[in-house]
This record gives sequence, structure tokens and C-alpha cells, in this order.
Amino acid sequence: MDDDILQDFLVEATELVDQLNEQLADLQQSPEDPDLLNAVFRGFHTIKGGAGFLSITALIQVCHRAENVFDKIRNGDVAYDAVAADVILRAFDVISDIIDAMNGGATAEELPENDPGLLNELDGLTAGNKPVSSPQPVANSVASKTQLTLDEDVDPDGDMTDDEFEALLNQRDMASGGDEEKAESVKTGLSLEADVDPDGDMTDDEFEALLNQRDLMSADGELEDEVAAISPPLSASNPVPKPQPAPKSAPKPSVVTTPPAAKAAPKNIAESSVRVDTKRLDEIMNLVGELVLVRNRMLTLRTAQGESEDLSNAVANLDHVTTDLQNSVMKTRMQPVKKVFGRFPRVVRDLARKLGKEIDLELQGEETDLDKNLVEALADPLVHLVRNSVDHGIEMPEDRLAAGKSSNGTVILAAEQEGDHILLSITDDGKGMDPDLLRRKAVEKGMMDELTANQLDDKAAFQLIMGAGFSMAAEVSDISGRGVGMDVVKSMITKLNGSIDIESVLGEGTRMSIRVPLTLAILPTLMVSFAEDNYAIPLTSIQEIFDYDSDKTNKIDGQMMVRLRDKSVPLYFLSDWLAPGHVNENDKVIIVSIGNQRAGLVVEQVNGQEEVVIKPLGVMLKKVSGYAGATITGNGSIALILDLPGVLSRFQH
Amino acid sequence: MDLSEQQTMAPSYAADMDDESGYMGPSARCVLFTLEDEVYGIHVKKIREVLRVGTIRHVAGTPSNVMGVINVRGVIVTVLDTRLMYDMPAKEITDYSRIIIVELDEEQTVGLMVDFVMEVKDIPENKFEALSTTKEDASRYIQGIAHFQDNVIILIDVDNMFSAFSLA
Repeated sequence: MDDDILQDFLVEATELVDQLNEQLADLQQSPEDPDLLNAVFRGFHTIKGGAGFLSITALIQVCHRAENVFDKIRNGDVAYDAVAADVILRAFDVISDIIDAMNGGATAEELPENDPGLLNELDGLTAGNKPVSSPQPVANSVASKTQLTLDEDVDPDGDMTDDEFEALLNQRDMASGGDEEKAESVKTGLSLEADVDPDGDMTDDEFEALLNQRDLMSADGELEDEVAAISPPLSASNPVPKPQPAPKSAPKPSVVTTPPAAKAAPKNIAESSVRVDTKRLDEIMNLVGELVLVRNRMLTLRTAQGESEDLSNAVANLDHVTTDLQNSVMKTRMQPVKKVFGRFPRVVRDLARKLGKEIDLELQGEETDLDKNLVEALADPLVHLVRNSVDHGIEMPEDRLAAGKSSNGTVILAAEQEGDHILLSITDDGKGMDPDLLRRKAVEKGMMDELTANQLDDKAAFQLIMGAGFSMAAEVSDISGRGVGMDVVKSMITKLNGSIDIESVLGEGTRMSIRVPLTLAILPTLMVSFAEDNYAIPLTSIQEIFDYDSDKTNKIDGQMMVRLRDKSVPLYFLSDWLAPGHVNENDKVIIVSIGNQRAGLVVEQVNGQEEVVIKPLGVMLKKVSGYAGATITGNGSIALILDLPGVLSRFQH
Repeated sequence: MDLSEQQTMAPSYAADMDDESGYMGPSARCVLFTLEDEVYGIHVKKIREVLRVGTIRHVAGTPSNVMGVINVRGVIVTVLDTRLMYDMPAKEITDYSRIIIVELDEEQTVGLMVDFVMEVKDIPENKFEALSTTKEDASRYIQGIAHFQDNVIILIDVDNMFSAFSLA
């Protein structure tokens, strides 16, 4: 199997799966929207086309059936009701899993066989919502090659093999593809079948390959005519010339115009978009980063040189243009948060069903844009928080009624931009959390003594749930309650230089807010130094800075501590590690918070704030703990960016 | 590739060609440099550039053979003390010291601090010979030696030298 083609297919299929996920979610709201139904139909069809080309049998089986179901639905023969939705969503999961497995390196041969039950159910849907158990004209032997469910009124003893039929369907779909007129129903398609002479010279595989090749090409919209040209000989059953090896003609996804599924979108806007390899975007981003550094240098020079007004103006100009450029480049990497939110209707629906709860999910601010990397990085923490809200937050319907609430719980997932940050929040109107219970629990688990626990204000008490090993669920379910999770969420958010905040009112609900910077590429830092050496500390972790005063420190059990508003905070002298033997003067203490812990870092000099571009450290240094990377400062020297969790563990072990 | 610097540093290049004009076979173009009075060579295709020693930023907590990092037009590059890698005593940086930027692959480069960069030379391949008997470990970095114009040139196998490190 040609690896390039496989990769191209996987890139495309992964996107299609994402799109389908969103579209299927939308379909819950408007199950009769013809555009949407067409889009879903095409999505399955396109995946099947690629899968057929690469002979991924498991994928073809499911896609093909799903496609058939949607063909029926869009023709109004079958309704997209709860039963159908259930089966389709399960089929979609199978497809999604297969694509995931293949992205993870599994070959077509390694894929598990499909569950015949699911295939039967899908077939059942096409046959008009009949009970699953009813025997179909064509028995499903899963192991065999792609099979096709024949309609009831089709004579299963017809001369045509399944593969030919399949190919014909493909051909028909393509011929009418992009056309506003819906493809003729399966029945019409079948009348074609009668004309076909199965004794044609071509083997099924060749035929299939040819069709798929055309399918791929017509995705570029160039070959519609040829499709039409090829159709007559097909139906006249003339031997079709052996197809050229398709690989060369397959479009490279890095530069092609939008895929057909996007084209199916109702608006014409899609036409003006270009697909760009993210690697290229990263390159541009890096170059802009360089430019930002040069600008910073110019700004430093300007302040140093002072006088010349022309120079000063030019630098000010450069400053503006660079800032604008930086923003526009950043925007190219932006994706609507809808990409993440899209999966939640599904998650909540499945979970609510499983738990027997009634839950409405509301999505707000789906169009908010944020950095592509962030979109991906936020998906897991958000899923976790939403599951938590559904599982722990919302009560069972009867409990809700007893508490005087409506039986339907509401979970609101919202996103909004707040300056250079994105604020994501998950709000539920469930039972809320009891800060006193949390305090008691913390004492029980030996995380702190009673006195400390009682001193925590409510907000700090809620933060307790993000400690490792802290679970509030009385029983562990397979959904949540193992006490791993919230701490993982917290550390993931911290890694993104974000913060997480919890508000809760007992009996009224809980709101979790996540604040993350708009982008990961540029990091606001505080520059500190020892003698000549500069270090950058991520600003998001810094709480306050004050002068070091030896009168306010104590040595407790070998650990230096500093008193800060009646609390003792451990103190680490960075120079012990970074500049051993160096005599410190003018020390400052920087209080940082990482996860649940606070620490004071003693540095020699604080030089102020600077936005830096994170660059990887060179070879052999990537595993040295305590550094997140390096950057080049305004005066051209290298500053090392400290990775605070790494720094602390360096001092603590 | 920025090789102009090496070219200018090899004024005797043309003359050398005359010496060897009798030989028409394949040859390997190498950058020759010295470490502790021995001449070493690295194939030019592996070398991106040769730099004068500027500010090297020390990184606390790194292995002793890592001198630090330098800024090469916006890219952070690790500089290694080649002397320490060959178990030679460390030496002060002088005006003759140079950093040879070696390409490990498309994206990764590393700097090698050397005592002195001599010149770029075409060494006829028939002058090469494999290293016969040495300690196994040390010879891993050495591709072979060449007896050439009264010099013994030790050819460094850059790929082998870093295959152990580039993973890190």
C-alpha cells in the first residue's frame, strides 16, 4: 500500500470525521435539513471512496451502509429518528475508531472485524426500520469483501456481483455529485443494473479502482465532464480501459482547495479558502517571531540612542506593522472553538442516557477563535469537566423535582474572548459543592490538618478537588470518581499557561472557568537575572514580587521559608542551581503558584516584563529538567525560559 | 549552505590541487581542523558553517561536554566541547578557536568547538583507510584515517558520533 496515499487519505478522513461529528450533532437539532443530510451522506461516501481505494474492508462495510441509510433519509424514505440516530452514531464511532487506529499506525489487516449486529442494524434501517432480527435477503458474512444490502424489491439472484453493484452506486453518486438534484433513489439506480452485462472484460477490482480514482479527481471539480463521458460505456457494458495507477493523480492535501464536503456547505465562502500545511504556518509563525525579536531590539536601541526623531518614527512604524503582522498570522492559525464543542452534544447525550438523567446542553460562543494547537489541547480537559458536570453536578430527575427544580438539568458550555485570553466555562445548575464537606475530606485524606483546612476560604476549598487523589464521589463509576482527573485537568491547563477557577453554590450549581492565552507561540514572561545571565519566568504563574528580607525568613526542617501575610511559603534560591558560588545582592522574592502549591523563588534582579517567542533548546538539552526552552532577548542575548514545575522538582528532590 | 567562510580560510586550496593533479579518481571534500596537534576532517556536506566564537550561554545542569548554547540567526544551537568528547583536557578559548556547525538532520544542528580550522581540502578516496585496531569505543566516532601530504587526517563520522545523542 502506498504510504503517501494512505497518509493523504488519513488526513482527509480525519477531517471528514470531524466534520461528520459536527454535522451529526447538528442533525439532532434539525433532522430534516436537506443540506445537512446531503453533507452527511457525502461525508460517508467520500470516506468510503478512499477506503475502497485502499481496500480497508472494515471501513467500507460501515461507511457503505451508513451512506445507504442517509440516501434513504434524504429521499424521505426513512426518518432520522432516535433509533436511527443511535445506530448511526454507533456506526460513526466505529468509523472514527478505525481512522484513529490507522492514524496510530494500524494497517488495514490489523483492524478488528466489524460487529455483525451493527451492520445488520444499519441494513435494517435501509430496509425501512424493520426489526433488526428480520433476515435480510443477503446474509452478512462479515469476513467477505464489501457487501451491499439489496433492497427488498431487488432480485437477489440478479446476475450482478455485489462489487459491481457497489461500483455502479458509486458511479451514479458521482455522476450526480455536486448536483443540486438529489441522486435518484436506489431503485432508479438499480434499473441501471439490468443493463449491465456482468461478463464485461474488466475485473471488479479494476473497475472499483477506476471509479475511485475518478471519485478522487472529481473531488477537485475538474472531472465532472469526464465522469459523464465515461458513464455511457459503463452502462453499455463495454470494456473499460485499464485505469492508470491512480496514485499520481490523487490530490496532495497540503495545497488543494477545500474538500468536497466543505464545498457542500451552503455558502460560497468555502471557495475562497486554501488549505495550507500547518508546518508551513508554523514556519511563518517562527519568522514572525524573529521579526518580533528584531523589533524588540530596535525598540531597545531606540531608547538607548535616544535622539534621532526619524529613527524613532521609523521604529514606531515598524513596531505597529510588526504587531499587526503578528496578529494576522496568529489569526491564520485560529480555529473556531466549535471544533471542540462539536463533540459535546454527543458526549452529554450518551452520558445522560446511561445515567438516566435529563440534561440539556447549551453551547455559547462557538464561533470564538483560538489557536489550533490550543483547540486540540483543550479537548481532553473539557471532556473531563463536562463529564464531571453531568455525572456529579446534575442530580437525578426525581431529586431535582424534590429540590424544586425542573427535572431537566442544564449544562452550559461557553467560550468568549477576554483581551488576549480565552475564557471557557462549564456551568451546571446541579447540586453544587459543599466547601465544608471538602474541608473535612481534605483532613480525612491527610492532605492537611484541621486548622489549615478551616482557614481555607470557599474558593480555596473548591480548588481542593484538583489535588491528586481527591475524589468526592462516594462510589467510583466508570465515568468519574477515581480521583485522578481533576489534577490531570489542572496540570494540562497549567501546561497551556492557563488557569482554572471554580465557583459553586450548594444546591444551585457549579461553574468552572478556564482561562488560557489566545496562542501558545508567544509567552509573556518576567525577565530576571543573575549577574549577566537572563532567565524568563512565565508570567501566568507569578503572583507577586517583593524584596527579600532575611528577617522574614525561617529555616524549618532544613527548608527556608518566607512569611507572607501569616503564611509560610517555601523559599528556593535559584542561584544555588543557576549560578553556584555567586554572591547575591539585592535579592527579590518571586511568589509563583504551580498547581496547588506556592513557592518563593529568590532571584538577584528583576528586569521587567517581556513577551518572548519560545524556541526549543538545542540537541542534548531537551531533556534537561527545569527549562521550557530559550528565547532571544531585546539585546540579542539568549535567555533561558524556566519551566516552573521542573524547577520545583529540581529543588524538592 | 554557507561555505564562503571556509573557502576564504583555505588560501592554499588551489595549490593543493596542483600537487594532486595526477589523481583523477573520486575524492571527498573535507573541512580540516586541529585538536591538540592532531588534524581531523569532517565531510563538507555535513557542515553548515564555521563561526567565530561569540557569547556562549552556559546552561546549568547539563553534561560537562556541553559548553552552552549560542544564537545562530535566531536558532538556538548547542555547543559541545569536542576536546572533552575525545578525552582531551579542556583548553581556553583563543582567537583561533572556531565553532563548526554540523547538520545532524534537516532540522537539528550542533556546534563543535575546535582549536583551529585549517582549510577545506579534497582528499582522494584512495588515501582513506579504515582504522585497524583501536579501542572499540573510541573508534566509533572515527570513520577512518587518511595519509595525505605528510599529515595524518582523522576523519570523523558525524552520524555515528551523534546517533547516541540526537535521541536525547
